[in-house]
Amino acid sequence: MADEARKKEILEKLRNGVIQYDEDACREGANEALEAGLDANEAIFDGLVSGMEEVGRLFEAQEYFVPEILMCADALYAGLDILKPHCKQMDLGVKGSVVIGTVEGDVHDIGKNLVKMMFDVAGFQVYDLGRDVPLDKFVDEQMKTDSELVCLSAMMTTSMVGMPKVIEKIKAKNPNCMIMIGGAPTSKDLADKWGADGYAEDASNALKEAIKMVAFLKKLRDEKAAKQ
Amino acid sequence: MKADLLKQFLMSEGATLVGIGDVSEALSREIVHLNRGIAIAVNRSLNRETVEILSRLQGLTVEWLSARGFRNLSIPPDSDRRKDKLITKLYKLFCHKTAATCSGLGWVGKNGLVINRQYGSKLSWATVLTNAPLVPDQPVRESECGDCDLCVTHCPSGAVKGHHWSLREPGRKLVAYEKCAALKNVRQSLEGKPNCGFCVTVCPFSRNGKKKAVNG
Repeated sequence: MADEARKKEILEKLRNGVIQYDEDACREGANEALEAGLDANEAIFDGLVSGMEEVGRLFEAQEYFVPEILMCADALYAGLDILKPHCKQMDLGVKGSVVIGTVEGDVHDIGKNLVKMMFDVAGFQVYDLGRDVPLDKFVDEQMKTDSELVCLSAMMTTSMVGMPKVIEKIKAKNPNCMIMIGGAPTSKDLADKWGADGYAEDASNALKEAIKMVAFLKKLRDEKAAKQ
Repeated sequence: MKADLLKQFLMSEGATLVGIGDVSEALSREIVHLNRGIAIAVNRSLNRETVEILSRLQGLTVEWLSARGFRNLSIPPDSDRRKDKLITKLYKLFCHKTAATCSGLGWVGKNGLVINRQYGSKLSWATVLTNAPLVPDQPVRESECGDCDLCVTHCPSGAVKGHHWSLREPGRKLVAYEKCAALKNVRQSLEGKPNCGFCVTVCPFSRNGKKKAVNG
């Protein structure tokens, strides 16, 4: 076990590496964490993710803008790629798989990619369909992968209109699948109206919502299994 | 904030030219806070691995800026081919030509490439955008191609239209890139290398300033 001072130093390096969008520092920090025998999950959450939280704060305070956010996310991935293979089962209580993509007609995928990053961090199996995804592709992919969760993203009002169609189709085939929508033009009201299970205005909210939903789903399944 | 130190440093590390441009007017909303463009050029005819050299110089620039507490966004020399990161999506918001012309290192020639008085179109470019208040160089506002039409007449695909570039009209289409690309595809299938490069080699400025010899 690494001594506390060393551990703190490494976590700080990972955190600052993300905040200062320094990919090399994140890679170094990740390797040092492994050498020092730090728990990989701890390095991810108390190091990298802690840095990303600060980045979120800087973004809200309009200190950071879109390019900084993206470079910080790239730095986080640089560390995550090294740490991930050493992760034990995530200690989040749930582990799920998720289909994610930006709906047809929309090529904006920055928000989607940030949400995807949070799922990656949390140890979800992520099926990323990319951007401008035909509506039926979401339905097919959900069936194929039996994912508990589908995330639909849209940046434009014109492409957002495709969302209720996808929700309807997936729910018709698989009523237990949870669906989240997100992106600038979406809202809680729309999510309710269209029968989506969750709505997230940003990446960290999306993750929290997603974990809640998957946990709920697992509970339902367990209860069902217990009755049989 | 003077830029001489940074320029000297990068030249000593292998840059052929370094310029600072005030690029405020060319920035989209996402990057509006990064209003200085550091244009770094490396002479392709002297260096094989220009992309590697430029990437290294960009790295040094980023270190230099970070150490002084400034923001930075590197647009790599091969930005159009980079897809491996999240930030690559933003590369298309800014082009090297803007940094090059705003920092006075050249104009956009009839051939659609940056032309520098000394090196012509033989330079490869990389850009670092920053919020460091570096004193900008004087921009080049107008084309200096004059009556020269060599790239227009020599282009095998007829893609070069022969228009003059101006900083006032940055969006003007100088080259029919679809024609150029069509020829590239043919060349790729026949010879295995896509670029013909006539528009570079024929340019008097690219031929070590032998402008008069060609024109006269």
